[in-house]
Amino acid sequence: MFRSISLAVAVTVSASALVAEEFRWAETTDPQTMDPHAVNSAAVLGFLNNVYEGLVRRGKDMTIEPALATRWEPIGDGEGWRFTLREGVTFHDGSAFTAEDVLFSYERASSEAADTRSWFAPVSEVKVVDDYTIDIMTSAPNPIFPDSIANWMMMDSGWAEASSAERPDKDNGNFATLNANGTGAFQLTTREPGLRTVLEPFDGWWDEAEHNITRAELTPIQNPATAVAALLSGDVDFINPVPIQDTARLAANDQVKVIQGIEARVIMLGFPHEAEALKYSGETTNTNPFADVRVRQAVAHAINVPAILQTIMRGNAEEVSQLVSPAMRGFSGDLAARPAFDPDKARALLAEAGYPDGFSFGLKCPNDRYLNDEAVCQAVTGMLAQVGVRATLDAMPVQNYWPELRADNYDMYLLGWSPGTFDAEHPVRFLASTPNEEKKLGSWNFGGFSNARVDELLPMIQSEIDDSKRQMMLDETAKILQDEVAYVPLYVQPLVWGTQANIELTQRPDNFFILRWVTVN
Amino acid sequence: MLAFIIRRVLQSILVLLVVGAVAFSMFRFVGDPIDNMLGQERTQADIERLRADLGLDQPFPVQYYKFLEGAVQGNFGVSYRQGRPVSDILLERAPATLELAAVSGFLAISIGIALGVFTAIRRNGFAANAIMSVSLIGVSLPTFLIGILLIYLFSVELGWLPSFGRGETVKVGGWSTGFLTESGLKALILPSITLGLYQMTLIMRLVRSEMLEVLRQDYIRFARARGLRDRAVNFRHALKNTLVPVITVTGLQLGSIIAFAIITETVFQWPGVGLLFINAIQFVDIPVMAAYLMLISVMFVGINLIVDLLYFAIDPRLRADRTAAH
Repeated sequence: MFRSISLAVAVTVSASALVAEEFRWAETTDPQTMDPHAVNSAAVLGFLNNVYEGLVRRGKDMTIEPALATRWEPIGDGEGWRFTLREGVTFHDGSAFTAEDVLFSYERASSEAADTRSWFAPVSEVKVVDDYTIDIMTSAPNPIFPDSIANWMMMDSGWAEASSAERPDKDNGNFATLNANGTGAFQLTTREPGLRTVLEPFDGWWDEAEHNITRAELTPIQNPATAVAALLSGDVDFINPVPIQDTARLAANDQVKVIQGIEARVIMLGFPHEAEALKYSGETTNTNPFADVRVRQAVAHAINVPAILQTIMRGNAEEVSQLVSPAMRGFSGDLAARPAFDPDKARALLAEAGYPDGFSFGLKCPNDRYLNDEAVCQAVTGMLAQVGVRATLDAMPVQNYWPELRADNYDMYLLGWSPGTFDAEHPVRFLASTPNEEKKLGSWNFGGFSNARVDELLPMIQSEIDDSKRQMMLDETAKILQDEVAYVPLYVQPLVWGTQANIELTQRPDNFFILRWVTVN
Repeated sequence: MLAFIIRRVLQSILVLLVVGAVAFSMFRFVGDPIDNMLGQERTQADIERLRADLGLDQPFPVQYYKFLEGAVQGNFGVSYRQGRPVSDILLERAPATLELAAVSGFLAISIGIALGVFTAIRRNGFAANAIMSVSLIGVSLPTFLIGILLIYLFSVELGWLPSFGRGETVKVGGWSTGFLTESGLKALILPSITLGLYQMTLIMRLVRSEMLEVLRQDYIRFARARGLRDRAVNFRHALKNTLVPVITVTGLQLGSIIAFAIITETVFQWPGVGLLFINAIQFVDIPVMAAYLMLISVMFVGINLIVDLLYFAIDPRLRADRTAAH
């Protein structure tokens, strides 16, 4: 009797496994390595989130949830964090996950050769308490530390040693560049760089599987038209991204679905705060009009963001007032309104600053980094011309763009910023702090914006344990940045994914494609 | 003869060195690889350290010299993007491009010659004129457009053929081939037509005009007067005599099929060396770009050298001129 019931159960299980299918997807960029500590880029970390896991992970709504650690609490008055590890977790090769692996992964990910080592700048020491308890000590109280390590992935120390991959090797590659051994829901079965990467479900995964995939294959497709054709012809089940101009056409097709959302990336204009003079101006000599806050305010009022969103982004993006989007932790709700589009006010502000007839300058812009970036810059150029500020647009591929910005060859520039920690502190550290090589502050603050109060607030924000006090300081920082018009935030970049009609999945604002949330119907 | 060969080989080496020098002087305009290689949280110190590690802080003649030093020993360096030796990557990708080029070349020659003969014999027929008009498309439409049109027709609308990729491949020794599986063969159809279309129309037009020329010759008239059948006249006597220039042009075109596979490979996501080169440009992967450009120029220089030597062997007049000049 029992036997026949268990047999019946077994039959149903195998029947549902038969329904499950192979899933093929295409992305523009191939993850350049399978080593989770070698390259800190969204393409690599997003893909490897399916294979490797961290102590914590982000859920469907981006909140932090337990993964390889079941719980964590601050030690003492914020001297560090104690993580209690999940028991019974195994790596894909069958070896057990213990605190030794966490210590090893810390040493590996924070080593000189690792691209991820800046995540561990606040860490002073990592101590193994017992097999399933580990203490991570920080040099100052660090309330967002658990949030900041969601992409710190655990590697098996024994596997790494056996394959001589104890340290990442980005320049020459090693065993871990082409192979993976994580604890995640999927294991890597084939890796052919630039051609295809195959994942299969890991039977020994500790968590309940939500997906019904038996095999998943990633193919990079660089040409957007080819990717759209591949989706339409059913050769792939999922593409990311869908070109903005194809969204309406795909949405009208019954065979496919378009999934739209908002990415964490804020697109903004930056100024040469420190420059003595403009570089690309005909009539202004030895002055830098953008050093005057009224001119920067005029720029903010002159740009009609809703019009840009409607025409260039075809209604797929949202305007934004701060350096982070409203979905991020620490966003200042009271400062959510952008400066109104008001050309008259912009002209008045320019006149007040001593430029009644405006001036000319050079706008630098990438043409292959952000969605429709060059078109946005063209629109900005047109809108600024309406109030008399005449920009000469110079758009270029991104690999030429960053060197130009580093050499200060711009009078105004376009920048997109996605906060890796999903916290408002992140852009303050990188974009608004006075550049300081030693303290690793302001490393993307090309214009050299500097405000003593912001510099004073940042370390206090970083070490404040009390959430409401921390928020007050973040609000104050956001207010200063808005009043000073350190940057002109424009909009949050859209995310547009395309799938076959029979696919169910979850889109996360970090643009990570999480395979374990995919269901093939 | 030997002096001529030595002179030509030395000239070829000089051409290669110049191509390499021009390529290396251009690389810094392609952009800076550093930002692609370091993450968002890089510092200025990281940038400078990596630049020094890669030798990018050196002037380009030094970088070029280092590349040549390695290349002579068969070491093309390590790809910035993949972190693997460039020679491994090129060997891995070469079969895809060579198979595609072979199939396109075969299609172009066989269909091109057949249609060329047909349009020459039936020069005033409706079908021949229709073929001539349609062939204008092959010469005038850009490759990527033809590729996209074929994808939309045969993959999206009709669903007969795959829209991208190489299908299933089988490893024979170190060579991955798509000839042995059904999906591999199907995947070859659209890209090889796209890549071969231009050469096909070129060969067709060349064969047609040569054939028209030959058909006016006296020996063809005599052959007809002798009462030989049309078939024998057209194919035994006329076609044979048109093939000499066709073979020359086809040989030279073979190089372009491989070199210009870049666009076709991009449209069809065909995993060959052309696609590798496009990706390398986007990532400023200098070792891959340098190795690819050098290989392509070695190929062109090699083909030209062989053609020159063949002329020298075939045409006694050339030999006389050369020796007379010196």
